[in-house]
Amino acid sequence: MRINEHVSSRIYTVLLNAYPSDFREEYGWLMAQAFRDRYRDEASRRHKSAIITYWFAVLCDLAVTATKEHGQNIRKGDHFMNNLRRDLVAVVGTVVIIIAAFALLSYGRSHEVASILVFGRILDAVVTTGVIGNLIVFLLLKLTKWNPLRVALWTFLIVHAVPAILLALVGSRLDPQFRLASTMLAYVVSLLFWIGLHWAWQSTRPEVASS
Amino acid sequence: MAKERNPSDFLPLTPAMFHILLALADSERHGYDIMREVDERTDGSVKLGPGTLYGSIKRMLSDGLIEESDERPDPDMDDERRRYYRLSTFGHRVAVAEAERLAQLVKAARSKKLLSAHNV
Repeated sequence: MRINEHVSSRIYTVLLNAYPSDFREEYGWLMAQAFRDRYRDEASRRHKSAIITYWFAVLCDLAVTATKEHGQNIRKGDHFMNNLRRDLVAVVGTVVIIIAAFALLSYGRSHEVASILVFGRILDAVVTTGVIGNLIVFLLLKLTKWNPLRVALWTFLIVHAVPAILLALVGSRLDPQFRLASTMLAYVVSLLFWIGLHWAWQSTRPEVASS
Repeated sequence: MAKERNPSDFLPLTPAMFHILLALADSERHGYDIMREVDERTDGSVKLGPGTLYGSIKRMLSDGLIEESDERPDPDMDDERRRYYRLSTFGHRVAVAEAERLAQLVKAARSKKLLSAHNV
């Protein structure tokens, strides 16, 4: 009986994730406590089918009230919707920057514009590190509660340092026309670009700017 | 100066909210105690789930119908993390207004002979 109660409580605690985070933080523990208390009463007073009936009632209650709480938050324009909007703007902005960079790079190469050589290296670095770095930052921020700016800073430092060091070591062996100085310059500019962009992005978020 | 609120602005209450106000009318209670009181008073015909209970409590706290209580009826016998709730003065007025509204409905039903004499 105790094992069933423990397992049921654990399952209910996981199901509480269906509620908005602010509601869960305020009332999650109290709801889990109320669930346990009633489960204990149902298990001690009635036969086994009472537990199944109880679970059915709890799941219906959860489905209705979690939807209601989310609905109210959406009407209030809560963090979830704001974050969703910001994420969409960030993803679209990154894609636009990368497409623009590719287009410029493609134009420079196809028209053999000599002056675009250094610019081309910079765009190479911006695009390569941008795709990998932003993907890592996005995933880390969705999976953890780390500071967004710190995550971006460390991710882009690593994403820039690794290829820059590798190219410095083997670049001349791969390409006889390899230029160490312009490649390093490209990675430094790219690093400043992405960190600057993330800093500007984060500073527009009041909750981060004020912390 | 803040404008005084009118209890009728909060009517009709949801059944869950009225049951919670009724449960708190005679004493302070914690969440599960409210669920149990409603269950017993209605002979099991109304069972508040944890989501309905705390969703209603959240709204009633923000509307000022109930308050959190710092006191524990018996601190030694209870988990100190439990939260106790009590009716606020305004919540009491809203509960009275809702009871009167329902009494009017019952009176109307009786005048239409929808209720027999012993169904009071």
